[in-house]
Amino acid sequence: MEDYKFLFKIVLVGNAGVGKTCLVRRFTQGLFPPGQGATIGVDFMIKTVEVEGEKIKLQIWDTAGQERFRSITQSYYRSAHALILVYDISCQPTFDCLPDWLREIQEYANSKVLKILVGNKTDRDDREIPTQIGEEFAKQHDMYFLETSAKEAENVERLFYEIAAELIGQARSKDGSSSAAAAAAQRQSEGSSIGLGSFSAKAAQSNCCGGLASGGSNSSQGG
Amino acid sequence: MSVLEQLGALDIGTNEQVDETLQRIADEEAKVNEKLESLLAKQCQIEAKMSGIGRSLSLLHTVDSDSNKLNDQIVNTAQLAESVSAKVRRLDLARCRASECQQRVHDLIDLHLCSQGVVKAIGEEDYEKSATHIARFLAMDQQLLRRTADDVQGSITSVSDAVKTLEDATEKTRVLIAKRFDEAVKADDLASVERFFKIFPLVGCHRTGIEKFSLYICQKLANKAQKELRNAQDIAKAESRLQLAYADRLTAILENFARVVEVNQPIIEAFYGQASSSLIDMVSILQHECDTEVKNLLMEFNKNRQIQYRSKQVNESTQRSAGGGNLGSNSIQALGHYRKPSGGSVDKLNPKEIDAIIAEITVMHARVELYFRFMRRRLQVHVETCVPEKEQFDIMERYEKIMKNSDLRRQMQEILSTYLLLERYFMEESVLKAIGLDTYESGQQCSSMVDDVFFILRKSIRRALTTQSINGTCAVINNVAACLDGDFVNALKAPLKSGYPSGYIDLAQAYNAIQTSLQQGKLHSSDADRGRANFLVQLNNADISTEYIETLCQTMEQEIAGTFPQTTQVERQMLDSCLTELKAVRDALKATVDFGMQQLRSSVIKPRLNPWINQFLNYSHNLNEEELAAYEAGETFVQFFIVQLDGLLNSFKNSLSPRNYDALVSILATEVTIQLERAIKKISFNRLGGLVLDQEVRALGSYLTGATSWSVRDKMTRISQIATLLNLDKITELSEYWNPENNKEMSSWHLTPNEVRTFLTLRNDFRIEDIKRLQL
Repeated sequence: MEDYKFLFKIVLVGNAGVGKTCLVRRFTQGLFPPGQGATIGVDFMIKTVEVEGEKIKLQIWDTAGQERFRSITQSYYRSAHALILVYDISCQPTFDCLPDWLREIQEYANSKVLKILVGNKTDRDDREIPTQIGEEFAKQHDMYFLETSAKEAENVERLFYEIAAELIGQARSKDGSSSAAAAAAQRQSEGSSIGLGSFSAKAAQSNCCGGLASGGSNSSQGG
Repeated sequence: MSVLEQLGALDIGTNEQVDETLQRIADEEAKVNEKLESLLAKQCQIEAKMSGIGRSLSLLHTVDSDSNKLNDQIVNTAQLAESVSAKVRRLDLARCRASECQQRVHDLIDLHLCSQGVVKAIGEEDYEKSATHIARFLAMDQQLLRRTADDVQGSITSVSDAVKTLEDATEKTRVLIAKRFDEAVKADDLASVERFFKIFPLVGCHRTGIEKFSLYICQKLANKAQKELRNAQDIAKAESRLQLAYADRLTAILENFARVVEVNQPIIEAFYGQASSSLIDMVSILQHECDTEVKNLLMEFNKNRQIQYRSKQVNESTQRSAGGGNLGSNSIQALGHYRKPSGGSVDKLNPKEIDAIIAEITVMHARVELYFRFMRRRLQVHVETCVPEKEQFDIMERYEKIMKNSDLRRQMQEILSTYLLLERYFMEESVLKAIGLDTYESGQQCSSMVDDVFFILRKSIRRALTTQSINGTCAVINNVAACLDGDFVNALKAPLKSGYPSGYIDLAQAYNAIQTSLQQGKLHSSDADRGRANFLVQLNNADISTEYIETLCQTMEQEIAGTFPQTTQVERQMLDSCLTELKAVRDALKATVDFGMQQLRSSVIKPRLNPWINQFLNYSHNLNEEELAAYEAGETFVQFFIVQLDGLLNSFKNSLSPRNYDALVSILATEVTIQLERAIKKISFNRLGGLVLDQEVRALGSYLTGATSWSVRDKMTRISQIATLLNLDKITELSEYWNPENNKEMSSWHLTPNEVRTFLTLRNDFRIEDIKRLQL
């Protein structure tokens, strides 16, 4: 059997062409394949990382952004431990669609799912959404925030490692450190009793948000 | 070593020694003589050899001069050979030139023949003949011809004329054939169309030929499809397959295209063989037409089956029941996944209504998958037999691209999306309906909804498999998991949450309850009875569902393997992951069972046990021999208690599933020991009282152990140890029990030293000082 202590599912969503597939490829394969075709349905990658001395298996679901795949991609929200909502900082419409995505997330995902807002393509010169706007939006909607560039490999590793660390924290605080807990953590069950960690979601957020956004110019106040 | 030296080394002091030495010298001498003789014997041999050598010497001189001569000869020959081979090379070149020349002469002769023939053929409208001439002409090296024309300029007449004639003829024939082809198309003369189709490659117009022919076929297919589409309903009616009318039309369309490729592949391979991209060109053009036809069909389908309207209804109903999330609201409420059954809505879509449509869509999707697979296989065979190896990959790549970017593909993705929407609605509504129509037959441990719900879910997954889409199957499995985890678990939990109706706590309450039910004209106990039965049934449902999920996953795993025999690793992992997710719903069900068990503990076991355990306090455990005899003769506490427990358990035994019953016994055992321990602390014991207690605990233990297949012995350990303490003859006996090595059959102590002391003080014949003095 494979040797890992936790298994986390991470689902990437967001409009078509914001760079979800590139983020995943950059992280899992270290590649930036230009001229990527549109994703069909969902794609699936696995990467095992080591965080705090623990082997963590990350199951990354890369979804298609196009509308016609929505009913496929929606079905993956429920079991996600973390949802990465991606927009393109050089494309206003992808930012404007965020509320629609949040509505979907609210409808289908576990209410305690870890949500991360990611502004991708920081390598581009034609920025349309200032960092601060993205940050504000994230804060308003209880999400963590990070700007990345899959092309320049900027913040990509950090994004996934911070998510892994945060999920471990939640799983541990919930129940010792048994790996069954990790699997059980995703079960939405009976309101608040079994969910993603019993420690205050807010506190967790401020921790991670600070952590995620502390580097460089895009530092935030935390949750 | 010389003899003298030997002599010098010898001791010749005495006579004996001298004799001995003499003897040795004599021996030595004899040996030397022997050697000399043998050497002399070899003399003549050596002489003979010497003379032989002398003779050979003269021979060697001859050999030397001969080999020198040979060497000279070889060098000469080599030079000769070289000059010969140079001549051969020159000859070969000359031969080549001659054959080229011959070829050119042939060409020239053919050229003349062709140029004469072609004019005649064109005049006679014998296109095959003229095309053959032209093909011959085109096969010649045009540049060479032109050079030949230059070479022979001035002399004779008409190489360049012939070339010109033929070039003109080619042009003319091309135009003519194109014209004739178009005329044939107009006249719908299939024989002529095919005739000219075969001529195009002869005049070097592969691409044009393929294009024109493909367009002709497209046009024919379009007409056919249009006509069939108009009559779709009638045809379906005639075949009594109304519900699959559009799937059947789609099948027909795809079959037509597939047939065209199948029929024309050998023709193309035979006549268009040189241009390796011919078939893929044709497929590409055909695909375009196919896209259009399918689009028309789907438009008709959408209109006729009211897909838009129904999707809208589904979406609205889903949004309604999700409580309509407020867009842009800052606080995201934890809505959870629970959807209220939204029955009674006026324009609510009946899941049965869309059942047939869902089936039709799955057939359509499967047909298209089949069509793509057929085309791919055809092309694969084609490139493997007819295309140079280095181009094979490019052509297959081109096909994948055509397929991936085709409108047909896109439309299938859309229709799959519709399918998933409808399938989810169908599944969720049917499950809610099954839950709503839940019936329970007395004597059964589970109610109808478990079978019904799992039947629906299995149907949904199976149907998803028939779409032949892995993405679709995964999505449906996910939706099934969501549905179980949401609506189903909630439905099981709802009655458990309100607790187990435990009967009337006191008379006043009972009186009131009877009054109210009498007023409502009902049998007074029915409500509570029904509540109880329902509670237990749902508890059993949850328990049995954990098994059903297991079975469902196993069956689906097999069926998936059967449906998709060739999956990539990623696809395999995706399917596995989704199935694992489905299996994980078991945890939620187990939590539900646990929750229900805790409800039973607090509303049934605890309150019932209380008065029975209180009885224990009424029995004195300070007994003398007579009292003991009297006690044992009468009804002892434990007899009374076991009868009560037995009555309690029996009331559940038949109505709980075996596993739930075992869990109940286990909970009961825990609760009994806790309460009994508390009661023991309230009274005091003497030696015989302790003996009685020990007997009672043993009896209780064996009763509970016998009541279940699970082990409850460990739950009894603590209480048994307390009884052992209170049953000690003398306080000093304790050390025999306390140290585990003294007593193997006793499991390790579940009591702390302090607790041991506390329990020992309950024995009124043990002195406090002795207890304090115990070394524990």
